[in-house]
Amino acid sequence: MDPRDAVNAETGEANPYLPWVAADPQPFYERLRAECPVSSMEGMAGLGAHIISRYEDVRWALRNPQIFSSDIVAVDIGQDRPLIPLQIDPPQHATYRRVIDPTVGPREIAGLEPEVRRVVNEVVDRFVERGTVDAHAEFTVPLPCTVFLQVTGLPIEDLSMFLEWKDEIIRPGGGMLEPEEATARRHAAGRQLYDYFEGVLADRRRRQGEDLISRFLTTETDGRTMSHEEMLDILFLFILAGLDTVTSTLDCSLAYLAQHPEHRRRLVEDPSSADPIVEELLRRETPVMQIIRVVAEPVELHGVSMSPGDTVILMLGSANTDPDEFGPTAAEFDPDREANRHLAFGGGPHRCLGSHLARLELQVALQEWHRRIPDYELAPGAELAYSPGIREIEHLPLVFTASAPVG
Amino acid sequence: MRIRLDDDACVGHGRCYVLDPSTFGPDDLGHCELLVAEVPAADQDRARRAVAACPEGALSIED
Ligand code: HEM
Ligand code: SF4
Repeated sequence: MDPRDAVNAETGEANPYLPWVAADPQPFYERLRAECPVSSMEGMAGLGAHIISRYEDVRWALRNPQIFSSDIVAVDIGQDRPLIPLQIDPPQHATYRRVIDPTVGPREIAGLEPEVRRVVNEVVDRFVERGTVDAHAEFTVPLPCTVFLQVTGLPIEDLSMFLEWKDEIIRPGGGMLEPEEATARRHAAGRQLYDYFEGVLADRRRRQGEDLISRFLTTETDGRTMSHEEMLDILFLFILAGLDTVTSTLDCSLAYLAQHPEHRRRLVEDPSSADPIVEELLRRETPVMQIIRVVAEPVELHGVSMSPGDTVILMLGSANTDPDEFGPTAAEFDPDREANRHLAFGGGPHRCLGSHLARLELQVALQEWHRRIPDYELAPGAELAYSPGIREIEHLPLVFTASAPVG
Repeated sequence: MRIRLDDDACVGHGRCYVLDPSTFGPDDLGHCELLVAEVPAADQDRARRAVAACPEGALSIED
């Protein structure tokens, strides 16, 4: 399947939700930007489902929440109310972010580095002797969840329970269920997750520690601490927004570097290059391909009228490879490019709340992986299946030179 | 060299203070704070790269 065929320039329709587009999105993005910068979701021409694909347009939409609102319960994911802060618009949005941001700010997150580094090494220890690994199942999935448990001071034994809840909420039954059953399973898992966190908060109020949840309880901004609802929602969002996103970024990164030894050599020889390399992987791979907004005020873009209530897909991946922003080398992997203003974490007021933690996890994971497993490649015959939307790779079989565990 | 920061545009991506920690620093929210009024000659290249890296265009060079 040619990803270009997912764009129909004649009808102005396109479909980013196809596995073969997720596997190789660049040709799809290129055609979208060039031939229909505001396209319609396939099968929905005239029905108010738009796709915006150029960098300047995506950036403009992100920065104009009064036109492109987040006040949308796009999918009912078992949450109790609109999710704070994801589904809240300015100006109320800022009152939440002002009190939440300091708990996951750059200084607080930098302090977690030794713990994250230890977790990464523990996870690597479990397979490093073997010389083969499904890096998705054994590295990129357990890693962010283990980091979450570690930084929130929750028992590591709860790992498999969390992974189950997360999958039940995001893709109940592996995504193969009838809608009603899927919604029911989502709700059940969402309920269990909220109940679990209720218990954790009650426990932390009695016994405060040094962990992130204790910090939620004590960090004060503008004379107030986070409300109970804010804490619950933010913990819920950590699971929904902070696990698969890191998993998919590591999937895409390891798959890319496995196939491009010339680019991983730098990471092996100079671990301090992890920052520009991670930024370039985030840009070029853009694991969260798109985000959703709802139109709040009538607006026109490239001759297409959008009306209140219309859905808009902001194609972050296509923005991030737009030559009008990144120049003639936009499609290439170049960690040394002059400026890398990518939008992989979104932009405007909803800029990813977890971006400091995500960057730490990604940099430390790639540093430690390449320190311990400098030589690796895709297992012979491996075919990689990418999921649309958030580009996880179902199985990522790698072979490498075995070595001894350190832990 | 002086740098201008548009507080309303900054949303805390944090690229500026990661790329040039001597000119920029994070406040409690992770938004940008200018640490110096005048960027010394030795830091100017680095500061320029940091200004160019801001995805919100919140930073500009005044002179
Ligand atoms: C590489 C990993 C990650 C990527 C690519 C990513 C991407 C994004 C994007 C694109 C948005 C913007 C959504 C929108 O505007 O509609 C976002 C928001 C958000 N992310 Fe992340 N994310 C990552 C990791 C994390 C982590 C680790 C956490 C939790 C600690 C997290 C928590 C959040 C939250 C709470 C929001 C909502 C912020 C708001 O609406 O104000 N993310 N993320
Ligand atoms: S890079 Fe831009 S948005 Fe991010 S902290 Fe610096 S000035 Fe603010």
